[in-house]
Amino acid sequence: MSDAILTFDHVEKSFFGVRVLKGISLDVPRGKVLGLVGENGAGKSTLMNLMGGVHAPDRGQMLLNGAPYAPRTPSDANAAGIAFIHQELNLFTNLSIAENIFIDGFPRLRWLPMLDRSHMRARTKQYLEAVELHVSPDTLVEKLSPGERQLVEIAKALSFDARIIIFDEPTTSLTARETERLFRLIERLRSDGASIVYISHILPDVMRLADEIAVLRDGELVAHGDKEAFTINRMIALMVGRAIEQLYPPRRSAPTTTPVLEVQDISQQGIVEAITFTLHKGEILGVFGLMGSGRSELARILFGLDEHARGEIRVAGKPYTRPSARRSIDAGMAFVTENRREEGLLMDIAIAENIGLVALPRYAAATVTAVNERRYFTEITDVAASLAIKGGELRQQAVKTLSGGNQQKAVIAKWLLDKPAVLIIDEPTRGVDVGAKYEIYSIINDLAAAGTGVLFISSELEELMGVCDRMLVMSNGEIQATFSRDEFEKERILRAAFRENAA
Amino acid sequence: MMEAEVKEPNRAVTRSQLVATSSARGTVRRVLRKLLLSEYFVLYLSIVYFLALWPFIPRIASPQNLGNIFSNMWPLLAIAIGQTFVLIIAGIDLSQPSIMALVSVIGAALMTSQLDPVLFEKSPLWGIVFTEAGGPLAGAFLAAPVAIMVMLLVGALIGWFNGTAVARLKMPPFMVTLVGMMFFSALAIYLVKSENIIHLPESYVLLGQGQIAFIPYSFFIVGALAIAAQWLLSRTVLGRWFYAVGANVRTATVSGVPVTRVIVTAYILSGVFAAIGAVFYSARLAAGRPTLGATLLLDVVGATVIGGTSLFGGKGKIMWTVFGVLFFVLLDNSLNLLNLSYFWVQIVKGSVILLAAALDVARTRLLARG
Amino acid sequence: MKTTNRQHLAQLALQNTSLLLFIVVFVVFGLLAPRFFALQTFETILKQASYIGIVAIGMTFVILTAGIDLSVGSNMYVSATVAGLVMQELKAPVWLGLLVCLSVGMLFGGVNAFLITRVKIIPFIATLGTMVAGKGIGLLFSRSIQIPYPDSVLELGSSRLFGLIPLPIVIFLGVALAAQLVLTMTPIGRQIYAVGNDAEAAKKAGLSVGRVLTSVYIVSGLMAALGGFVSVAQQGVVHPGFGEGYEFNAIAAAVLGGASLFGGVGSVLPGTLLGAVLIQMIQTGLIFTKVDIYIQPLITAAIIFSAVLLDAFRNIQLQKLRRRNIRIDKGALVGAGDD
Repeated sequence: MSDAILTFDHVEKSFFGVRVLKGISLDVPRGKVLGLVGENGAGKSTLMNLMGGVHAPDRGQMLLNGAPYAPRTPSDANAAGIAFIHQELNLFTNLSIAENIFIDGFPRLRWLPMLDRSHMRARTKQYLEAVELHVSPDTLVEKLSPGERQLVEIAKALSFDARIIIFDEPTTSLTARETERLFRLIERLRSDGASIVYISHILPDVMRLADEIAVLRDGELVAHGDKEAFTINRMIALMVGRAIEQLYPPRRSAPTTTPVLEVQDISQQGIVEAITFTLHKGEILGVFGLMGSGRSELARILFGLDEHARGEIRVAGKPYTRPSARRSIDAGMAFVTENRREEGLLMDIAIAENIGLVALPRYAAATVTAVNERRYFTEITDVAASLAIKGGELRQQAVKTLSGGNQQKAVIAKWLLDKPAVLIIDEPTRGVDVGAKYEIYSIINDLAAAGTGVLFISSELEELMGVCDRMLVMSNGEIQATFSRDEFEKERILRAAFRENAA
Repeated sequence: MMEAEVKEPNRAVTRSQLVATSSARGTVRRVLRKLLLSEYFVLYLSIVYFLALWPFIPRIASPQNLGNIFSNMWPLLAIAIGQTFVLIIAGIDLSQPSIMALVSVIGAALMTSQLDPVLFEKSPLWGIVFTEAGGPLAGAFLAAPVAIMVMLLVGALIGWFNGTAVARLKMPPFMVTLVGMMFFSALAIYLVKSENIIHLPESYVLLGQGQIAFIPYSFFIVGALAIAAQWLLSRTVLGRWFYAVGANVRTATVSGVPVTRVIVTAYILSGVFAAIGAVFYSARLAAGRPTLGATLLLDVVGATVIGGTSLFGGKGKIMWTVFGVLFFVLLDNSLNLLNLSYFWVQIVKGSVILLAAALDVARTRLLARG
Repeated sequence: MKTTNRQHLAQLALQNTSLLLFIVVFVVFGLLAPRFFALQTFETILKQASYIGIVAIGMTFVILTAGIDLSVGSNMYVSATVAGLVMQELKAPVWLGLLVCLSVGMLFGGVNAFLITRVKIIPFIATLGTMVAGKGIGLLFSRSIQIPYPDSVLELGSSRLFGLIPLPIVIFLGVALAAQLVLTMTPIGRQIYAVGNDAEAAKKAGLSVGRVLTSVYIVSGLMAALGGFVSVAQQGVVHPGFGEGYEFNAIAAAVLGGASLFGGVGSVLPGTLLGAVLIQMIQTGLIFTKVDIYIQPLITAAIIFSAVLLDAFRNIQLQKLRRRNIRIDKGALVGAGDD
């Protein structure tokens, strides 16, 4: 292997007595892209946090260019030329791009303690050009798309001349085109001599970008080598510690022809147009679309969270007007939203109460009469057990203490408790590790086998192809094509998803 | 520390000593920790405070004084229960004292049996609601119950107004209830032109002053209400919805919780409980007073928050509020007994609020550490 | 084309609701009492708005960080009292009195800052505590009696710059201008906005959040003291009730001027200045139109309520306007050309 710009030398780190990093030694290669993979909780983020000055190692040390490196704050790391681009971007939406870039060290005028705006503007312009973002430095960040904001973060890294740039799951909120642009940029940064650490769950992306790959499992480095030594299957096997024969559980049931959700000509100006489809009992219907295709917005409209101007929705044959979340639930619908922190869970509240929230009114005669607690908690415990939610005492522990996968299962559980006829599920595997993904697919399969109609929305084409009976492809707020399982073909589906460009 | 290898014997000795002392210290620390993290922390704090003062002011433990503390608690608790509901849904109700003032004036205007024309002739209610011969209910058999119903209704109405402004019009609760405070207290003063209304029916006054076996009526009524409120919060659907809305409105919305209704209900309860408090305070004064409760805002919000209910929503219990109110009443009482000047009372009170808040911060940090 | 123009106009109106309300109130009172339009009236309004306005400027700094300072009223009382005693008992010159006043105010703010950044008590409770204790300390100094100020201060309060503009107005406008410069043109100013937008992100970006918060509470303390001094300079005495309830007026002025209690949004110029003058204009207008003194606070509250309502309505509308269209309809072009 080539020479290292940064070396981890037997670093260890514990939190609350739990050893998260168990003595890792790893070389970050100079001028290359290192792909870092591992399940959630494997220690990737902790390792990078040591590098980025967020935490300090308990034991062991880091060497930067051969010299000891011990940052105490993120600013120390920045000063040493290390930039950390977090999954959740660290920008101030009420400030301009230039102000964001210089927030921790504004250039000042020579005679007054005031900002040197012209200097800021000129330099920012230069960095923005380097990341190919062609907007004014004075643009407020709130006006930018997620992809553009990420470019601002990278521009910021350029501003302090970062030699190592860490990307943590950078593509989760990017459109396909923005992702492509990001990859080109990463490749250019590398050819300019920067060293990159790229963390992602999306293994094909890692295969495409990385020169070297390192796999972490349970706080230990289990493999590190040139990309050529890895395949996606081998990475997965290394991550989970055993060979996974299958990524997707086999379907054991077939969809029926009884409609449970009929959508007719749903339209809302600027959002979706003339959406018509039918979901059947026991069917898993995929909705594929790129970021900004209107897939999540459609789900919100179907569930009654956002308004629509025209069209009709029927659940189990019955039409319902003036939709609201409560009406949708009463009609038999369930909706696992794409962002479980913001809309799926009450993070500080006990797991059991989270699971009970939707079905709650069924356990009492009226809103101001006592809840039948025995039945309530028994059924919650049952559904939690059936989904194998692990990691805590249901009635005592706050849901935020669970791992990402178990949190997602808790969200699903709260809807299953209500025994829905229709389940709309939006990006259920985002930020969830490989093992938990398989479990979530199994849950969806079982539901369909029990007769629930599932509308499975995702931006990961592979999982839809692995799980669904049929697939709708959306772009520009319209359904562009429908494919049945025997017609699933990656290229054709993608072509439909990119159709807006043709227009 | 367990894994560290000990090679030199003399070091091993020091280490075992260390372990010995640290285990003794450990027990103390564990007990302290347990106390600090207990739900009953504020109760313990009150007891410690009481015991600490006892040697210095023996009078604090006299039966008469204990009776005072006891009877002072309940009217304040009624108001604080209302505030607890609103804080749980991540709101705040600064208008409670003004609700008290307004309903006390309205209730008294209905019930009074005699008014001095010199004082009230200029009131906008003169000749319409009341005259020299008192209000419309003057002397009526059910004057007090009817007037109380009207008072609660007005409290509910103002609560409904606050709740609607917050939930439907999406106005920030702090500003809505702040302006509400300005408006309704000014309205109370305007209605009676700053004068107190006296000559209230005996049955009404009895409500504030009557006792059964030395226990004030307010204890039975507010005690029952507190139990009902706690039951509502912990046992019913609505109660769980309160916490859900306070913890995360968006999740609650998606989960089918009728968020608007829940928020409006919380503010209505706050208004009604403020009115209940007003009944007791004005009955005790035997008067409707347009500045009733003006100094209580601090006590109500302070007692509720120090009890442990979070200003950020999603967390709170009536029992905590009971302890918080006990603490505040005890504090007030002790400062009175010490016969301190007003400014010392203020200084001590402010410092104690800060101290209690600092202790709460320490608790939260300990809890976070698990 | 017409529709886009109308949309622009709507957006422009929404973005300037406080200015619109200001004009409406001004015109209505002017029509009701023509004397209201006199320059003299406007001078009176500005002069009377000056001290709450100055306090509100400090409050704006705090609100921008998503904090709140309930102690400004008590702070006004303590600092004015101490300064009065220094001038009265020790016969200190006016400049020294002012210096003492401002120092006490900053110290008061420093205590708030300490409680909030070091002890980590939330601002609402921390400043509630210092509000109560602070008032007590003030009364301890004054022994609950009136503190008269020397005549020279009163003269100063009614003097005019170049014999033209009343000094309180000059100070008010000067402070507003300086504050706005600090907020928009200096590193600390921009960092205040950053902390208010996302304190967690600010910490990650390497900002010293503690330092930023400390400075806003000290500024708030300083402004409270200055506001108090300017007020006493017009009245001549510090009475024991001085400053009580002013915190709410200051908060109302900042919020009416467009500051968001959630932090990160707001300005001193025109924002808070407009808010403070609006409140005073309502009160003066009510006096001019000879409204019953008991009804005046009702109308004031109602107008403030409608301003808050308008602001809430504006936020909802602005959010709707900002919501991105996903669909690219032919004809109606959506901005930002992609590569």
